[in-house]
Amino acid sequence: MLDYGQVLDLLTDDERQVQSTARDFLDAEAMPGITDAWEKGEFPRDLIPKLGEMGYLGANLPSEYGTAGVNNMSYGLLMYELERIDSGLRSFASVQGALVMYPIYSYGSEEQKQNYLPKMASGEMIGCFGLTEHEGGSDPGAMKATARKDGESYVLNGSKMWITNGNIADVALVWAKDDGGVVCGFLVPTDTPGFVANEIKHKLSMRASVTSELVMDDCRIPASQMLPDVRGLRGPLSCLTQARYGIAWGALGALEAVYEDALAFSKTRSTFGKPIASRQLVQTKFVDMVSDHTRGMLLAWRLAILKDQGKLNYSLVSLAKRDNVRAALLAARSAREILGGSGIVLDHPSIRHMLNLETVDTYEGTHDIHTLILGRDITGENALE
Amino acid sequence: MALNIIVCAKQVVDPETPASAFRIDPDTKQVVPAQGIPPVVNGFDENAVEAALQIKEASSDATITVLSVGSGFVMDVMKKPLSMGADQLILVDDPAVGNLDAFGTATALAEAIRKIGEYDLILCGRQASDWDNAMVPLGIAEILGLPCITIAQKIEVSDDGVTVHKALSDGYEVVKAELPAVVTITNELGEPRYPTLRGIMTASRKTPTVWDASEVGLSHDQLSHKLDLTELYIPVSDTECEFIEGEDDADSGRLLALKLREARLI
Ligand SMILES: Cc1cc2nc3c(=O)[nH]c(=O)nc-3n(C[C@H](O)[C@H](O)[C@H](O)COP(=O)(O)OP(=O)(O)OC[C@H]3O[C@@H](n4cnc5c(N)ncnc54)[C@H](O)[C@@H]3O)c2cc1C
Repeated sequence: MLDYGQVLDLLTDDERQVQSTARDFLDAEAMPGITDAWEKGEFPRDLIPKLGEMGYLGANLPSEYGTAGVNNMSYGLLMYELERIDSGLRSFASVQGALVMYPIYSYGSEEQKQNYLPKMASGEMIGCFGLTEHEGGSDPGAMKATARKDGESYVLNGSKMWITNGNIADVALVWAKDDGGVVCGFLVPTDTPGFVANEIKHKLSMRASVTSELVMDDCRIPASQMLPDVRGLRGPLSCLTQARYGIAWGALGALEAVYEDALAFSKTRSTFGKPIASRQLVQTKFVDMVSDHTRGMLLAWRLAILKDQGKLNYSLVSLAKRDNVRAALLAARSAREILGGSGIVLDHPSIRHMLNLETVDTYEGTHDIHTLILGRDITGENALE
Repeated sequence: MALNIIVCAKQVVDPETPASAFRIDPDTKQVVPAQGIPPVVNGFDENAVEAALQIKEASSDATITVLSVGSGFVMDVMKKPLSMGADQLILVDDPAVGNLDAFGTATALAEAIRKIGEYDLILCGRQASDWDNAMVPLGIAEILGLPCITIAQKIEVSDDGVTVHKALSDGYEVVKAELPAVVTITNELGEPRYPTLRGIMTASRKTPTVWDASEVGLSHDQLSHKLDLTELYIPVSDTECEFIEGEDDADSGRLLALKLREARLI
């Protein structure tokens, strides 16, 4: 693991073992097929049961429902290792764990927890998270999706856009407004009549991940499918804080991947009789990558400790998501540049990561939206709304 | 049937260490650990742990003890067999056993096995990736007066002993021995399982037993080197590249074969 700041020394034996095992496992099981999957525009579904078997789905949730129950440091390291392979893989795990299992665990009924969590932990059941709609994802409060109460049912109408896992999901956690205009969460089995997922094709980013539009047309579900313990935007936003935490770690994994590849290339590639690694302009790029990675690791490490202590503030998560993702994106662009022409083909990972990271920079709150969240927190003045 | 399995496992320099990071100290005749590249459990020893776990799964009532002799153990590395599912870990951790020859290592392991007392099957990797000697398991068997079957690609335990498919270059031999016995395991047995998060969490609650050399009853004399390492160096390898051109691909192939034959490579 790239660890210029010796952060691994700050971890426990178990946390280091989680990281090294995840690296070995993913290098053997996920890395070999990822470029092909990305090129074909497919999510490598054969990995799902293996990820479940290893305990990587919803890993930081307490172990009572079949989850592994590791701490947030180990969970962060897992996200790092998943995204070192591909952001699509980390997105799958983030959606499953942080955006669907976490709210079921935190806000669900006992019956919902029993029904969904063990099967989602093993990968037998897949979830997706429907918050964003066609209009202005940055402003989720403006959502139009509705859930009308009708006896012992809710009838859902509306659509959701850019939904990861949409077409492979067994259950969609859909956020919609109830009759009083309050945002609530609904667990919609994807085979419910009136529910349709349309896969979004022609993506040039996150190609090894399924992204879909969800359409609900008089989609009737039992009232017991509503998450009972949360009302309002706090629900989905709390999930986003969980997922953003994982992204803050994950982006650094992508950064390591592009850095290591470009560094190896630069040592063997010669121009004017010298390896390009010996050139100051090239070295500057590597120094920026390592600086950003080192800063990012220290921040992610601190985040994990605060999260385990229950003291993590959402604005610090915004800061880490914003900085670490942008750093990874810039590193991927630099790595692509160092590779010259070789950088535009999939033989090297940088262009794949670079294109993926365009999404990571946008989803879960765009870079600019996080700037505005932080600006509001720092100055007390709201420039967002 | 209750079965006590001991698996001997060695901490070694990661064989994946890139050549550029591989250093030796010619004066002390030792490998200098590369910065930032942690050691690993010897690969064949992980195969041996896997073999033990498969036996345990088949016979249900087995206890797996992993035993290692050395110094400077890295705990997250050495706990890997526990995370894979072994029951306990015993480390003979002492500078006195840090740099032994094969005979000393076999002696130290054999004494530790005597101290453990109950054992039916001792599994080792076929060789360790650092020195590739493949001598230690035979030494253990000799000292303890046990039969030893080497290079097992398949192993089964039944009431009348252990049955091993011993890998040969052109197939395998079926060999049986009564228990207790020493068996060395090769990678043809199959990939060792990855520790799951649950396995790592379970292992984290287990504390390894640590003995020093005197607790195992090892004397200085017993450990003195029987083999002397006279020189340690990194070989210089020269590569020359020659392009063989023929009239067409078939001709190039024929000329290549001739060259290889001349060089006595085929
Ligand atoms: C591959 C992929 C997967 C995704 N997966 C999911 C998923 O699983 N579930 C889900 O719910 N969503 C998902 N999303 C949606 C994602 O979260 C949104 O795309 C994101 O929140 C931005 O919303 P938008 O695309 O509607 O852009 P908009 O909100 O319309 O923003 C457009 C631009 O305007 C800027 N902007 C917006 N408001 C302001 C402001 N007040 N001040 C200044 N600038 C502003 C933004 O920064 C951005 O640059 C996914 C997106 C992608 C691309």
